[in-house]
Amino acid sequence: MRRLLNGLYKGCGVLSAAFIVCIALAILAEIIGRMAGVLIPAATEFAGYCLASAIFLGLAYTLTAGEHIRVSILLLRAPARARHALEIFCLALGTALSIYFAWHFCAFAYETFVFGEVGQGLIKTPLWIPQSGLALGLVVLAIAFVDELVTMLRGRTPQYAQRDGDEAARALRAGGES
Amino acid sequence: MDILSIALILTFVLLLLLGSGLWVALSLVGVAVFAMTAFTTAPVGSVLATTTWGSTTPFALIALPLFVWMGEILFRTRLSEDMFRGIAPWVTRLPGRLLHVNVVACGIFAAISGSSAATAVTIGRMSIPELHRRGYDERMSIGTLAGSGTLGFLIPPSIILIVYGVAAELSIARLFIAGILPGVMLIALFMGFIMLWALVNPSRIPKSDERLSFWRKVYESRRLLPTILLIVAVLGSIYLGIATPVEAAVVGVLGSLALAWGTGGLSRRVLADSLMGATRTTCMISFIFVGASFLTIAMGFTGIPRSLAQWIAEMELGHYGLIAALTVFFIVLGCFLDGISVVLLTTSIILPMIQAAGIDLMWFGIYLVLVVEMSQVTPPVGFNLFVLQGLTGRNILQIARAAFPFFILLQIGVVLLVVFPEIATYLPQQMTKN
Repeated sequence: MRRLLNGLYKGCGVLSAAFIVCIALAILAEIIGRMAGVLIPAATEFAGYCLASAIFLGLAYTLTAGEHIRVSILLLRAPARARHALEIFCLALGTALSIYFAWHFCAFAYETFVFGEVGQGLIKTPLWIPQSGLALGLVVLAIAFVDELVTMLRGRTPQYAQRDGDEAARALRAGGES
Repeated sequence: MDILSIALILTFVLLLLLGSGLWVALSLVGVAVFAMTAFTTAPVGSVLATTTWGSTTPFALIALPLFVWMGEILFRTRLSEDMFRGIAPWVTRLPGRLLHVNVVACGIFAAISGSSAATAVTIGRMSIPELHRRGYDERMSIGTLAGSGTLGFLIPPSIILIVYGVAAELSIARLFIAGILPGVMLIALFMGFIMLWALVNPSRIPKSDERLSFWRKVYESRRLLPTILLIVAVLGSIYLGIATPVEAAVVGVLGSLALAWGTGGLSRRVLADSLMGATRTTCMISFIFVGASFLTIAMGFTGIPRSLAQWIAEMELGHYGLIAALTVFFIVLGCFLDGISVVLLTTSIILPMIQAAGIDLMWFGIYLVLVVEMSQVTPPVGFNLFVLQGLTGRNILQIARAAFPFFILLQIGVVLLVVFPEIATYLPQQMTKN
């Protein structure tokens, strides 16, 4: 289960990275096309959709890597038990908000699909296609939050706190508070 | 309920969420959801979804992951070694000698990376041990690095300016160009301070050990030349209007890949690590951006920014009074939040007020970045301080003390920018003439 979930986060993270490469390639194609006098019709539109998907697909991966920014002053200074409670509070709220966010975005993407909305560019991309990338990213983020909350409630350390990309926490741990 | 009570309640909720340690992006979403549910009749969920979709597709935002990636690639090359060896011969005759390497190297690295902490790490991991070995005053070498690291925010390509520009709907190209002269001004202030300090404390600067001919100096810095060329290509093409910032960013990514390959530093591992690093940073920043966009809309529904603008207008603080009050506000906020969060939080709430006061939004962006640069060197939360803590093993208060003169210099920079707004507006105006 652990490996499956981590694979899910990492997999979406890799997908997100692939979308960033796609952005670079799309813009590059446009530049080269312009030099050669060929107009590549939907390059910027495509790059925009790639960006939106890249942002959201990487959210869970970034969370478990501990790189989403948070204000950790209170967390770092609170006594162990208060810290534990505060951490659970944050995770519970994070879980609730991410589920709320994912739910409403999925509903929105579904509506786009039902009404058959298309993009404004030359190529009429059905908008539900790029939107499903965002929806998937948000759902995975919600799963990651539930996962971290359950881990915390079982008395273990959540992943984001183990691999702490949070510079504040890392530096404070490394340097002590001498 | 009157608008003042609503504003106070929302401020309280925001501080509660942020302070408890809830992730910044979600705190912004949370307070926006709360504001709309409690004080408006708008359909919160669908507004959240449409804003999210709308905020992540603007063209200019595409430059963000590309510039982040470019910085990540160069961060992993041997640039920091080349930087020290390449710059040292040129500054060794100035009073303060190799301390200037920190400033100049940070200035150059800032022009290829938009991150302040990355700038401090890249330069510091080479220069701190070198300066220590040669017997330079430790406090000064830490201070110069903490101070100059902040240049990463201001000198283009600046991640924070991209984010501000997209949020405030300004031209990224013009914002970038507007950041150049204020960046140069800061470099001059920092170097001037080092010289003054060295003239007052001549005993604390080690004696010069070598004297090189001009061509020998050029030879020593040969490895830096490709990097400088890349910077000139990226910024030059934006300034001349040949390329949009997005296109220049792609050129920057290709150029930095070529540089890494040329110096033998481009392994599959470097490629993968830089890309995944860029992915994480992009997601982190953009998520806050999405949260802030939603907060902007939610605030619009509550009407708070409008009333705030009116209220400020009625106070008749005057231009300087308003800026002074804002500066104090940002410095306090910056003690607890990182630069990007400060900028985005601000754009969601106070931009209407700035516009109502008749302040140029482009100038305000540069001012804002300069002010949040200070947040990087103020305890308890200052990312450059954390970085230097990691590099030197000193505690945060010692480092903050070493960085303090540079905090003051940044304030002098702000005052100069306020008194002479042309520092920011001159170059972009020249751009339009071309």
